[in-house]
Formats: sequence, C-alpha cells, structure tokens
Amino acid sequence: MLSWVEDSSSDPFPRVLVQRVMSVVGAHGLVSSVWGYVDATVRWCWIPSWLPSWCPTSSLQLQTAEDRMLRCVESAFSKQYVPIANGKQLWTLTFSSDRVKDRTPMVLLHGFGGGVGLWAQNLDALSQCRPIWAMDLLGFGRSSRPRFCTDAQGAEDQFVESIEQWRAEVGLESMILLGHNLGGFLAASYAIRYPSRVKHMVLVEPWGFPERPDTAEADRPIPVWIKALGAMFTPFNPLAGLRLVGPLGPTLVQTLRPDFKRKFCSMFSDNTVSDYIYHLNVQIPSGETAFKNMTNSFGWATRPMLHRMDQLQPKIPMAIIYGSRSSIDSSAGSSIRESRPHSHVEITTIRGAGHYVYADQPEDFNHTVLQVCDQVD
Amino acid sequence: MFPLDSPWNISFAGCGFLGIYHIGVASCLKEQAPFLVQNARHIYGASAGALTATALVSGVCLGETGASIINVAKEARKRFLGPMHPSFNLMKIVRHMLLCTLPADCHLEANGRLGISLTRVTDGENVLVSHFNNKEELVQACVCSAYIPVYCGLIPPTLQGVRYVDGGISDNLPQYELKNTITVSPFSGESDICPRDTSTNMHELRFTNTSIQFTLTNLYRISRALFPPDPMIMKAMCKQGYKDALHFLKKNGLLHFNGPHRDRPLLANSKDKEEYKNEEEDNNNDEEKEKPLVDDGAVMIHFSSSTEKQFIEHLPPALHKALVEACMERKSLTQSLSNLLPVRMASAMMLPYTLPVESAMSLTLRLLEWLPDVQEDVGWMREQILKILQHVLRQASKSISQQVSARFSWQLELHHYQSLPSQISSTSLFPSWVNGSSSSVLDVFMRLNQYKRQLLSGVLCINMDVQGSFKSGSMSPDKSPPSIHSPEGLTMVVVDILPAANSEKPSAAPKSF
Repeated sequence: MLSWVEDSSSDPFPRVLVQRVMSVVGAHGLVSSVWGYVDATVRWCWIPSWLPSWCPTSSLQLQTAEDRMLRCVESAFSKQYVPIANGKQLWTLTFSSDRVKDRTPMVLLHGFGGGVGLWAQNLDALSQCRPIWAMDLLGFGRSSRPRFCTDAQGAEDQFVESIEQWRAEVGLESMILLGHNLGGFLAASYAIRYPSRVKHMVLVEPWGFPERPDTAEADRPIPVWIKALGAMFTPFNPLAGLRLVGPLGPTLVQTLRPDFKRKFCSMFSDNTVSDYIYHLNVQIPSGETAFKNMTNSFGWATRPMLHRMDQLQPKIPMAIIYGSRSSIDSSAGSSIRESRPHSHVEITTIRGAGHYVYADQPEDFNHTVLQVCDQVD
Repeated sequence: MFPLDSPWNISFAGCGFLGIYHIGVASCLKEQAPFLVQNARHIYGASAGALTATALVSGVCLGETGASIINVAKEARKRFLGPMHPSFNLMKIVRHMLLCTLPADCHLEANGRLGISLTRVTDGENVLVSHFNNKEELVQACVCSAYIPVYCGLIPPTLQGVRYVDGGISDNLPQYELKNTITVSPFSGESDICPRDTSTNMHELRFTNTSIQFTLTNLYRISRALFPPDPMIMKAMCKQGYKDALHFLKKNGLLHFNGPHRDRPLLANSKDKEEYKNEEEDNNNDEEKEKPLVDDGAVMIHFSSSTEKQFIEHLPPALHKALVEACMERKSLTQSLSNLLPVRMASAMMLPYTLPVESAMSLTLRLLEWLPDVQEDVGWMREQILKILQHVLRQASKSISQQVSARFSWQLELHHYQSLPSQISSTSLFPSWVNGSSSSVLDVFMRLNQYKRQLLSGVLCINMDVQGSFKSGSMSPDKSPPSIHSPEGLTMVVVDILPAANSEKPSAAPKSF
C-alpha cells in the first residue's frame, strides 16, 4: 500500500485528475463499496464456525497430526494443557526424567506458524541432559487462540505475560530460554522484563532484531504491476491465502514447501509434516494476526529488539545460532554483540542449514545447543 | 569458517536469462578465491547454471560468456514478441555459442568434475551427467539442460541416445542437501550466495529445491527469467552476483586465504580505474549500488582498506569491458530508429500482417535445419504416439471394464474365444487352445456356472438376450452352430465348448450343466 501511495503523491497532477474523474463518474463510491464487500467477505472467511466446512481442518485433526509428528520421539514425556489467566491455556510437552531433574530446565519457544511438533528431531537429544519444556505459544498450535491487542506493544506484552503466567503455573524458578524466529524475539522481550528467571538465552534465527533499513529497493526497477500486486496483499494476514483456498490448502503446502518433507525425511516418508503445518496454520488466525500487528511492511518488526538490547541485564549470557543459508540477516548477531560489550554473546553459524536450523541439520544443532547449555550447569 | 579440509561442491541454480548473475558470482570466486573453484570436487549446474558451471570448469573467459548471454538476451528482445517470436531459435544460438567458446579438450576437464542436471523424458527422473566422451557431448548436455519444453520447442534433444529436457524441472539446484555445497541462486532465499532483499518475510516456496522467498523483487526476477530485461539491468544483475559472492567470501573468511593470487587483479584494477569512472557516471544503477557497500564495509571493519573497496566497486576488467561492449551496441542507427515510438507503434500494428510471413519464413528455415534429424525425430515421435495410444487404450479399457458389469466383459471374452477359430482353422487351433491352457478351461467352466445361476435366477434375462443377439450378428456364418437361431447366446456357447471340455476334464463337465 505504501509504495503505491508514495508513487501517486510524487506526481500530484495525475492524482488530482484521477480523483476528479472518479468523483464525476461516481466511481469512488463504487470502489469503496466493492472494497467493503471484499473486506466483509474476507472477514466472513475467518468466522470460526464457518471455517471447518471450507478448510478441511479441526482441532482434532491438529491433535492427530501432532501425535503423528511426535510418534518418533523415543523419550518418555507428558502432554498437558497449562491453564493461565482468563481461562486461556497453553499446550505443553514435558520431558523430565529422574536422572536430570535437578538441572536447569530448558524451555523451547517455536517460531511463527510453528508448534511443538517441529522440535521432533531435537527433543530426544536435548532431553538427555536436562528437563525440556516445549509449548505452543499463545495463539498458535493447540494453545488458546484469543483476540490480541491491535498495537504492537500490546500484542508483545500479551505474549510475554502468557509465558510468565505459564512459568508460574508450572513452577519453574529459572530456565534456559530457547526461541526460534518469533520465539527468539519473545525470549529476548521476556528476558528484559523478567531477568531473574532467565539463566541463559539461546536465540535461533531470531526475528525482529534489526530495524527496517532506510534504503528501500529503489536501486532496482520494479514495474508498476508488481508494486500494485504487493499493495494488494499488504492488508491481508500472511497466511490468509492458505485459508482462502480451502480444500486445496494441504496440496498447496505440499507443493510450495516440499522441503519440509525433506527436512524430516529421516522420520517420515509421507506427508505428516506438511499436514501438521497445514493444520497449525488454518485454525483461527489469532497469533498470526498478532504477529502481523507487530510488523510493519515487508515483515520488519515495528519495535526492533536491537534498540532494547541495552535494557537486557548484562549478566544474562546469550547464544545466537544462525543457519548459513538462511535469509535472515546474521549481521544482527554481531550488532547484538557490539551492543552488549560486557556480556557473553556467542554466535554460531551452522553450515548447510536454512531458517529452520533445528530441522535442517538436527545433529549439529543439538550438539551446539548442548554445548551452550553445558556452560549453565 | 568454511571447512576447507573436507571436500566441497559448488551448485548453480537454473534461472533462464538471470544466468548473468552466475557469471558475476563465478568471476568473483575465480578472482578472489581461485582455490575454491580449482579444488572444488564437483561443480553442478542446471539449465542456465549448467552453462556457467561449464564455463567455470573449462576455464573459458567469463567475460566472453557473460557478453554472449547479454547478446542472446538482446537477440530475444529485438522482436515484438520477444523470445516467443517464431524466428528466435534459442537452442541454435546456445549451441553455436558453446561450440565457439569452449576449447576442443573441454570434456577432459569436465569429466568427473562437472555435473549437469537433466530431466529424462521417459520417466521424468533427474539425471546428473558427469561423463562426457567429447566436446559435442558436453555441448549437447548443456543444450539438453537448458531445453525448456514448449518455450524452446516441442521435440526434446537427445544425449547419448536418450531424450532429455531442462534439468530445472526435476532438480534445479543439484546436491543442495549436502552440507558442503555452496549453493548459488539469483533468487533471494535460502542459498549460500544469493541476493538479500530488504524483506524479512519468512515465507518462501521451493521450486525443485530452489528456495524462492516471497518478495516483490523475486517476483520481478521470476518474470524476467524467460523474458530478458534490458542489457543494462542484466549488467547490474551480474554486478549484484559479484557483490553477493564477495559478501559470502568475507562472511566465511575466505577472502584473504590465498595471498599471492590477489596481486595481479589488484594492479589491473587500479590501472583501469579511470577508464571505468566515466562509464560509472552515466550509469545510475552503479551509483546507488555504492551505498549499501559502505554498510558492508562498516560491518567488516577489519577488511575495509582502500584497495579492498575497489574489488567491491568494480567487476574484473575483462568482464566489465565485455559487458559494457555488449550493452553498447544497441546505440546503432537502425536500432535507435526502431526504438522511436511511431516506428514501434507501426510495427506493432503491422504485426498481424508481418507475423504470418515471418513465421512461415522461420518455419521453412527450421524445417531445412531439421532435415538431417527428421528420420530420428519422426521415429521417436511415432514411438511416443504409439505409447500414448497404448496407454490411453489401456486406461480406457480398464475404466470400461470397471464401469460395465463383469458379466458383460466375460461374455465379450467368450465371444472372442469363439470367433478366433473362424479366422484361422478351427481344427488346428482348437486342441492347442484346450491343451495349452487348462486354467482357461476352468475359467470357462466357472463362467458357465455363473451364467447358469444367473439364468436360473432369471433376473438378468433381458440383458443376456441383448448380448446374445449382438453376438450372433457378428458371428461368421460358416462357423455358426445349429443353435444360432436361439435368442440366447448362452446355449450357443455351451454347445461349442462342451466337446472340448469333456475330453479334457470329464469330471467337471457334468458339474457345469
């Protein structure tokens, strides 16, 4: 939307002309009414009761898909809903054998559009050394999907508070907080607010740290039709298209992301992973909307975390793990290190891994995380 | 950072005309980290990536390769419909280019090191070809790998007697799953060397292993992959490739790895610096490019000496010169004349008249060029058509047999058995049919049983009547038994088969009655 407005304002004459013509013909009213209709239709698409009939999904199907994802996990674990304030609950997996009970537990926070099942290749290895708690973030996976605040600050606070309430409920004194993508952002935000609870922070491909660079893509000639297309998609949720196509959704996930099947090929040869991802993301888009409200255009964070790094207590050590092929800019890692001169910040890049480091190169990832955790106790 | 103690590969993604990006990457690797190319175990490529991989392995001047890619793009842009114009024969140009530029012994260098991704036509499987007996085979492998069906033509080319099409259809980024493969792609996404767009959009799609992030710039790139952009934009893409490769080398600490090799290009670069200055000034793209480069330098403070920056700002002299020359030519008189708006409009309006003539001419030309291969290709086409027909027939008969009731199909088969003797000689065929397959006789008995039951139940009498009359109509008259006047086909069949059945298995015969 932005780019289009900029274009027209830079050339005022045609804009005025277009407006005049539109007012004469009465097209303005027409356009707005059409837009209103489209908007209403799209909103209607999100009505929860109507959703299952269009998208082949349900919470039961999500549960089945998750069970299938976790079938290959060999360690014993318990699954439960942990109640937090206002009747909401967070879906939690707990790995806690007697052997490792007295060590600092590690809490895994998944990324945008993810869920606990995606850690399937890591849970066994990580739970060998310490208790592991993996949860679905509020508004994602099998957790409650409430309506979030519409402003960035409010949504972030809701996320962070839900984690704190969850911690109090399960009774963890302190923890190692590991977050991927959005989880990494929330882990940092949580550590700023509740420093005493975080013994160590592990950020895996964290989202939302750098600020949106000022140099827009002006150096490349982008045709108008592409800009228009971009403007068309801006008001929608990131995954609205997946819900909109309804019954075609599972096929769409399989066609667009065959790499997920490949990432988990050591565990499943069928479409287990794409099914799981599909069911995670076509339920009520609550966390997704919150995420959208926390971003400005092109997926950059409205409240970049790099600005707040000085509020983080220097005593909290930090490890940042990047995938060598990921499209997330790893220079944010060195910026974090610069902004925390008196703290321990360790940056690891894992070769041959993309954004989903823990699924692309599970052995290397597990090894790195275990090494980092050994520094704690 | 990059583990040089274990073997590594380089893999170039297929990308159509964006292949110019690979030239930039390849020239950077070759100049700044020659050991990385020389000691790479394999260099893979698909489609346009295969061309760059071949050039890199055989040691061809990359400037020349880049210039020829731009020339092809210019050729494609010349006409109103671009590359879709019938007189534009991409495969012919590519083949000619490769034959001209590659040295005669290139296959020796390429053998075992170069891997070209191809898609086999017969089963759609991916094939990585890495053995080439001679230069022609190498050229043919490149042509096959770049052969996008429909876009390039309809009859796929052959390599070593097998038909192949574009490798990008089955695997656009060979061996990407290996940890030590340096993946190169002109689309921003999850590759080792690729442009980084100003977007942190996490959504991406995978096109046969190539990761493509959902960004507007990528959308533009995709739209330009088969319909080449302006030569100046292609030059900018080449430069972008050089820059991204340099960024990769810096990030992995490979830039200062080989000291002595750096001196030569450094000198050449500073010598030609003034020469570039003039060209840089009238090139808007380049000025804007310098901005982010300063940022790069700030991040990597320990690299930013004044001489280093020249690497960043300039492509290698030979490449730069070749690209500039390739871009320059369009300022000729006829070209600029044809670029005038009225001329373009006129040519667009004339299109309905000129297109058929031009199409006919180019078609004739192509037919003439095709003559040596006609026999082979026609044979292949016939084979394919036969295969398709067989497949269709099999499918059709399968679906028919599923839809129509089993009774009907049995009856048809019976009819078939019966009409067989009439065609040849009943005496010679009959015993062999009986002796040869006792199981088929049992089959017949089972069917007869079935018929008897149906007849007794009397439900499907009408149906069988119809079939019976149908059968009697198609029977040859000399073989028709006396009972043919009966409206029921069943009677007739029994009479015919009974003697044979009796002779073979007397115990079964009473049962069937």
